[in-house]
Amino acid sequence: MNIKIFEGFWHVLFDVATALIPLFFLFLLFQLVFLKLPWEKLQDILVGFILTYAGLALFLQGVHIGFLPVGSMMGEKLGTIENTWLLVPIGFVLGFVAIYAEPAVSVLTHQVEKVSGGYIPQKLLLYTLSFGVGLSIALSMVRILIGIPIWYFVVPGYLFALIIVRFSNKTFTSVAFDSGGVATGPMTATFILSLFVGIASVTEGRDPLLDGFGMVALVALAPIISVLTLGVIYRRKEQEQYDKEQLRTKAHSNDR
Amino acid sequence: MDNIKETFLEVVLSILPITIVITILQFTLVWLPLDMFFQFLIGVGMVGAGLVLFLLGVNIGLLPIGEMIGSALSKTKRIWLIVFFGFLLGLVVTIAEPDVRVLSSQVDQVSGGQIPMDILILSVAIGVGVFVALAMFRIIFSINIVYLLAGGYAIVFLLAAFTPSVFVPISFDAGGVTTGPLTVPFILSLGVGVAAVMRGKSSSGDGFGLVALASIGPILSVLLLGVIYG
Repeated sequence: MNIKIFEGFWHVLFDVATALIPLFFLFLLFQLVFLKLPWEKLQDILVGFILTYAGLALFLQGVHIGFLPVGSMMGEKLGTIENTWLLVPIGFVLGFVAIYAEPAVSVLTHQVEKVSGGYIPQKLLLYTLSFGVGLSIALSMVRILIGIPIWYFVVPGYLFALIIVRFSNKTFTSVAFDSGGVATGPMTATFILSLFVGIASVTEGRDPLLDGFGMVALVALAPIISVLTLGVIYRRKEQEQYDKEQLRTKAHSNDR
Repeated sequence: MDNIKETFLEVVLSILPITIVITILQFTLVWLPLDMFFQFLIGVGMVGAGLVLFLLGVNIGLLPIGEMIGSALSKTKRIWLIVFFGFLLGLVVTIAEPDVRVLSSQVDQVSGGQIPMDILILSVAIGVGVFVALAMFRIIFSINIVYLLAGGYAIVFLLAAFTPSVFVPISFDAGGVTTGPLTVPFILSLGVGVAAVMRGKSSSGDGFGLVALASIGPILSVLLLGVIYG
C-alpha cells in the first residue's frame, strides 16, 4: 500500500496560519479601540478562530491528498474514452455535486436565508447554484472537445446577466453576483480544475494551463445567471399574486 | 449541542453526493488503482471533519466579528473612517489569502516571469481594497449595485481588448480565486453589519454584493498589469 495522508501538511498549516493571523490581529485592533467585548465573548471568538483554523487546514489537506490526485488521474482516463460526448453529462453531474462541498457556499446560503428572513430559502439557493455550476462545467467540456475560445461565452454571458438584472427581483441582484465569487472556492479550483487539466493534457491541441483558466471564469459566471433567473421567476410569481389580489378586491367592490 | 449535530448532518449531506458520483465513475469508467481510491476515501473523511470544524468555527468566530466590526464602524458615523477601513480590510484579507499566492505562481508561469510576484499580489490586494471601499460607499449612499457592476465590467471588457490575450482568462480567475473561504464569511458579515446600522434592520439585504464587487478589483488589476507588461 502506498498511501500518503500527511504529505505537504506543514505547508497547508503554514498557509492557513498566514491567512488567519492578519484577520486575528485586525480583530484585536478593533477589540481594543471599538468593541471592548467582555472576556467570555472573547473566549468564544478565540475558540471560533481555533476551530476555523483546524477545520480549514484539515479540509484543504483532504482536498490535496484525496480530490486533487483523483481529479487529475480521472481526467486523464476520461480524456481517452471512446464516446467523448459522455464527458458533457459527467461534467454536469460533477459540477452539480462539487459545489455542495464548497465551504463558502454553505456560509453564503445560510447567511442569505438568515438575512432575508427566509424569503430566499437556503436549499433553493443551493440547488440554483448547483444547477448553474453543473451547466458551466458541461459547457466547459464542450469547449475543450471542440475548442471554442472563452470569449464567446464570457462577454455574451456578462451582457446577458446585466440585461436580465432589469427583470429580476431586486433582492436577488447582489446575492447573484456574490454567488459568482463564492462558487469558485477550493473544491472547484482544485478538484475540477485538476480534472480539466487532466483531460486537456490528453486531448490534442489543448493547452492545459489556458483551458483550465477559462473553466474557472465560466464557473464564476454561471451562478450569476442562474440566481438572476431565479429572481426573474420570483418577480413573475409575485406579480401574478399581486394581480390576482387586485382582481379579487375589484370583484369584491363590484359585489357591493 | 444541537448546533453541532445539525452542522454534522449538513456536512454529511454536502460531501456524500460527490463521493458517490466519484465512486460510481471509479467502478464504471475510470478504474484507478485501489491504493489511490483508498487515499481518496481518507481524503473525503478529512474534508468532512474539516468542514464540520470550519463551519462551527466560522459561526462563533468570523461571522460575529465581521458583523460587530461592521456595525461598530458604522456607529462612528464617520464616512471616511468606514470607507478607509473597508479598503484596509480588503487589502489585508487578500494579501493573506493562500489562493492568491497560487494564482501568482500561475501568472508567473504564463507570463514567463515578466511580472514580479510581489507586484502582482499587491496590485490584486489593492484591487480588492478599492472595491470593498466602493462597496461601503454604495451601502452608505444606497447606490444601485447594478450601476457599479455594469461600470466595472464595462472597464474590464475595454481593458481586455488592449491586453495580451493570455492575461484575459487569468484575470477572470483572479476574480474568482481571491474570494476564498476566509474572505467570504468575513466580508459578507461585514457588509451585513454596516447595512444593519446604516440602513436599518429591514434593509440589511443591502449588505450583500460585497463579494461581487470585491471580485471585480482583481480582474481589473491583472488586466492592467497585462497592459503594462504585455
